[in-house]
Amino acid sequence: MVGSRSTVRCLILACGNTLRSDDGVGTRLAEWAEERFRTNEDVRVVARQQWTPDLAEEIAAVESVLFVDSSIKSPPGHVHLDPVEPQENHNGSVTHHVDANELLRLASELYGSRSVHSMLLTVGAGSTELGETFSDRVEAALPRARGVLEKAVQRFLEN
Amino acid sequence: MSQTITIDPVTRLEGHGKISIYLNDQGEVENANFHVTQVRGFERFSEGRPFYEMPSLMARICGICPVSHLIASAKACEAIMAVRIPHTAAQLRRMLNLAQMVQSHALSFFYLASPDLLLGMESDPMQRNILGVAAAKPELGRAGIGLRRFGQHIIELLGNKRIHPGWVVPGGVTEPLSSAKRDEILGMIPEAHRNLHLAIDAYKQIASTFKAEIEVFANFPTNYLGLVNEDESIEFTDGALRLIDAKGATIEDGMTATRFTEAIGEAVEPYTYTKFAYYKPLGYPEGSYRVGPLARLNIISKMGTPQADVELAEYKQLASGPVESSFYYHHARLVEMLYGIEKIEEILSDPKILDTHVRATAGVNRLEGAGQAEAPRGTLMHNYKVDENGKMLWANLVIATGQNNNAMNRGVLQAAKHYVKDGKFTEGLLNRVEAVVRTFDPCLSCSTHAFGQMPLEIKLVNANGELVDRVVRG
Repeated sequence: MVGSRSTVRCLILACGNTLRSDDGVGTRLAEWAEERFRTNEDVRVVARQQWTPDLAEEIAAVESVLFVDSSIKSPPGHVHLDPVEPQENHNGSVTHHVDANELLRLASELYGSRSVHSMLLTVGAGSTELGETFSDRVEAALPRARGVLEKAVQRFLEN
Repeated sequence: MSQTITIDPVTRLEGHGKISIYLNDQGEVENANFHVTQVRGFERFSEGRPFYEMPSLMARICGICPVSHLIASAKACEAIMAVRIPHTAAQLRRMLNLAQMVQSHALSFFYLASPDLLLGMESDPMQRNILGVAAAKPELGRAGIGLRRFGQHIIELLGNKRIHPGWVVPGGVTEPLSSAKRDEILGMIPEAHRNLHLAIDAYKQIASTFKAEIEVFANFPTNYLGLVNEDESIEFTDGALRLIDAKGATIEDGMTATRFTEAIGEAVEPYTYTKFAYYKPLGYPEGSYRVGPLARLNIISKMGTPQADVELAEYKQLASGPVESSFYYHHARLVEMLYGIEKIEEILSDPKILDTHVRATAGVNRLEGAGQAEAPRGTLMHNYKVDENGKMLWANLVIATGQNNNAMNRGVLQAAKHYVKDGKFTEGLLNRVEAVVRTFDPCLSCSTHAFGQMPLEIKLVNANGELVDRVVRG
């Protein structure tokens, strides 16, 4: 997972199901990031099938977090990079899956983590049917997504 | 006019389920059902696979308790192989199973149940979740996360993955334990103890405020089933099963996995995809029983570790015989977690724990095998039949949640009758009906299996809620 906990400044936190076509794009980008930042002790990559409350502890230990996920709200293949803020719970059914806003809020409530810079990188999903390959538009979007990911991490580390 | 109240989905559970409460013309509760609405198929699509693939396949049933399936499946395979695994492998599997139990119980207590227990059954539903607990009781939120990390990190150290580790195989495990990993786990023990004692203290402070819930949360006599050692101490991985009645008298003792396949039947009902396990000599539903933390602590005389035994002695004062209210599953889970932490430390002090002989090998020596273990939620059994080449011909799994199914349904009815009067109810009262199911910590994804053609009832209801048509199969 790249950097050991005590030196890590930037956490790349991805989620996705690699058996559900485009839903796995976050995990694929995490695999690329794992290799890209393999020798960089400032960066840690964690990929999970879904984000869980336990990750609040990981977030609280770093200066910055880049969340990486697919999105069913964006057109297929569209790459977005948006800031993330801790947010009030808005659906009342948080159990063993939380979103990026809720994770930041948990990190703040539990660990007093208030200085975490965070962004959410999403790639619009075309298909979330059973499958291990991406749709054409998501496959075509991967180079741009990698570029956005790399630049975001570099900006985090420069701050 | 009769009415049906539907709670759909039931929240803060693993898996998908709903509750239906049926009112008569006077607005009184006449019946209630807990429906498990998922359909799986693991027993069917494993047919034709090599038997040695089964642990890895079966672990995929669940993301919370895959270790239980790994172990029960591996034991069924070992019965087919007719091998006894090395002592060190048995100890390592025991440690893995206990680590899973700790993290699973932590999930149940902190993430699923604590919003009700710490914030109140009637608290704002938008806040009645882990985020609300984190805001109100951050030290407990941290303790829960810490205990989940404790269990999951041990699983990751032993099995190389925190979910669906592949380390448990027929014959033992694939790798021995290194001294570095042993020392890392030992270093985690003190923090785990601190986190758990925070939870135990918090629970004891609030438990007395739930007297009304304790009275009606699946509070009735049942039989109980669980693993026990010869010295009457609790066991999660080996040992033999004991079935006791509502007064605590033994109905059957020393049940092996093979005897389990003979003695336990499974009934089906048209309103749910989860079966109803029962003890065949007593018939269905009289032979129904409960499993899991409440049942285990009713069966045993001691935990076998010092601090857990102190907690057990206090727990046993809740009743003169078996503890009956399912509300106390929460308390029993905390006692078991304490045992798990202590037992892991004890296993690591075994001078043979670093031994490198951790796997026995053999081919097919029997055409049928069964294996049992205690999952966090209760007893789990895998039963397989193979051909001479080891190809899977048939599989049956009896899951803890199916064994608690009768009690869950009776519990939902008991709570609904208490809390829904004259057709009137509030969100908080319906939350209590859901909370009954949460006490069992069911794993609905594990529990649903289709075998043969399922009885099925389809109701067509119009916009006014009136039944227009009904089709029944089976």
